[in-house]
Amino acid sequence: MTERQSYAVPVPKGYRVGAWEVREPIAAGAFGSVYGGRQRDGQPSVAALKFLPTGTRTPRQLSHLRDLAEREVELLARLRAPRLIRMYDTLTVDDPDHPELDGATVLVLEKAEASLDRLLAAEPRPESGPALLAQICEGLHQLHHAGWVHGDLKPANVLLMKDGSVRLADFNMAAELEGTHAYAPAFSTPDYTAPELLWPEIDERGTRIRPSADIWAFGVLAHTVLTGTFPMPGGTTEARTDATARYARGTEELRLSAELPDTWRDIIRDCLAPTHAERVTTQALLRRVEETAGTSPSPRLPRLRPRRWRRPVLAAALAAVLLGTATAAYTLRDQEATAASAPPTCERPMPYEDARYGRGYTAGWSGTWDFTVKQGEGGSQVRELQCLLRHLHGITGVGEADGIFGPKTHEAVVTLQKRTGLTADGVVDTPTWRALRSAP
Amino acid sequence: MYSVIVVPPSCEGPEDQIRIASGERLVFGRAARDNGLTIAHAGVARVAGEITAHRSFWLLSNLSADQTYVVENPEGAGELIKVAPGRVEAPVPFEFSRVVLPAAGDLLTFDVWAPRHAFRSADRQVLSGTMTTPAFVLDRTTRYFAVLAALCEPRLRGEPHAPLPTTEQLVDRLRSGWPEVSSSAVNWNIDYLTVKLRLRPGPETAEPGRRVNGKKESLVSLALRFDLVREDDLVMLAPVPADSPSPSGVSR
Repeated sequence: MTERQSYAVPVPKGYRVGAWEVREPIAAGAFGSVYGGRQRDGQPSVAALKFLPTGTRTPRQLSHLRDLAEREVELLARLRAPRLIRMYDTLTVDDPDHPELDGATVLVLEKAEASLDRLLAAEPRPESGPALLAQICEGLHQLHHAGWVHGDLKPANVLLMKDGSVRLADFNMAAELEGTHAYAPAFSTPDYTAPELLWPEIDERGTRIRPSADIWAFGVLAHTVLTGTFPMPGGTTEARTDATARYARGTEELRLSAELPDTWRDIIRDCLAPTHAERVTTQALLRRVEETAGTSPSPRLPRLRPRRWRRPVLAAALAAVLLGTATAAYTLRDQEATAASAPPTCERPMPYEDARYGRGYTAGWSGTWDFTVKQGEGGSQVRELQCLLRHLHGITGVGEADGIFGPKTHEAVVTLQKRTGLTADGVVDTPTWRALRSAP
Repeated sequence: MYSVIVVPPSCEGPEDQIRIASGERLVFGRAARDNGLTIAHAGVARVAGEITAHRSFWLLSNLSADQTYVVENPEGAGELIKVAPGRVEAPVPFEFSRVVLPAAGDLLTFDVWAPRHAFRSADRQVLSGTMTTPAFVLDRTTRYFAVLAALCEPRLRGEPHAPLPTTEQLVDRLRSGWPEVSSSAVNWNIDYLTVKLRLRPGPETAEPGRRVNGKKESLVSLALRFDLVREDDLVMLAPVPADSPSPSGVSR
């Protein structure tokens, strides 16, 4: 009855924006189109180019698209964290000969291999589900920790990188917290929408949204990844939305899939608490998800493409061995690495190649080189740090790798910093990560 | 989180409206108990019928022995459904309905609104529940949409700070496409829009000497901010009269 235009931005292949040449279309999202891009000079050489129709002569002059584009640019410009998609640059198309493109905003983003919804379409219950969920939760924690709400967490907005790691993307709905809540634009994906936001009150600034709305969405997403079905009953979005409303009113119980392991059932139930105040906090959720994912039988990250080995003969032989062992798809470069037919572990860090920082060791918990951590924090970066201190640099004073940055970890970091001639302040910044990832 | 609003015959204001949520029932009749809707007329059965909210629409059960009920769509140019005696859970598809009960020569009526009726874009043929969609999409064929368009018209025509039309101006503007329009009908539609769009009541800003209608102001800024009404929707209104200035040159 009500016709709505598509927001797709058609861009011809070979079109040039700044230093970038547009390649194949990757996706048409709700508010713009994403294309592959490459540049001859400069790093990185490939990227994803997201075109947002913000031009002055965009069909129908939709003013709210400008707001949505600004939200994404602002978040990505201010926030940089290992589990959030990285923005290299923003450009504005200046091309009077193409009025439909003139004025469009182009975000130059880190290029991903696939999105989670594509993975789910091919493999409804991926074996690597728990490991993926741990990383998604980590991204959510990084976002909330920085004071932002995502507002539209769902499989299509979770991207998988070449090394199998996860990035959160699509921040058009994201909003910065003002006290306990933020204002998000009045858009949503009904199947992932928390009950308090199904028919929210609204004012001129939009809908009030809290981080707990992302926690609800994570609960739905976790159920979908682990069982292949939505947690709410019903064959259509409308029926499931109605079931959500009845559940929140207390007239219906939550009946999660019988396939769920008990630990995940408890986690999802706490995410899907009917009121925002009852939902688990992001910090507590991350701890539980990481614990559960760590003990589950298959913490394997998905392999999106075959590993590239330097020596193909050996690779073929090893591929057979590796099939079925837990490994991240790191590109291993030399004999030392290939000799070990196992993934990096805490006890046995392995070298890998980072596209930006070059070669370094990893203990398999985090691939970051620039996520600053210090005393009082926690999470997988801290665990990575502790493993490297203890098992690569032999600083045993760090204690067990428990993921909590306490006084012992602080002392161990200071020891390493003194040893390598860095400022001995116990803050793990990029120079410290570089030292950590170098062989002693 | 109600989905249906029942407006009793002698409704004075929103506090008399009965809001029922999906799955809830409301009994009506001469002696309706349990917070039912009492219709005090000797010609109405003690328990005359039942309304059940179901998702975004509602179901009508006719519990009378021998009377057919009629549900009219007041905006539907005579559109109606008949519910025979004894029929249970007949689905009612209208956003606005008037339930007519024949009672000993009289016709008694009450209204039922279903403001949660959802509209979705036609290009969403692919059945995926995961598209990001606007929190509200309006039905462009309704009168409330015409009222909203008329309310937003001055600002959509390029005067961002134009004063909002008064109710009388709205009535004049809408008359050619809606001959029986009245100021109470316009105000009714404005009130309905605040329900439909779930507008949080804003602070009433009143400057001395000038009464500002906060409700209309909030509606217009919300509608323009989220592009609920766009310039090309204005064609549904009659052309701008030739004697009034028309910055976009639409007058003819």
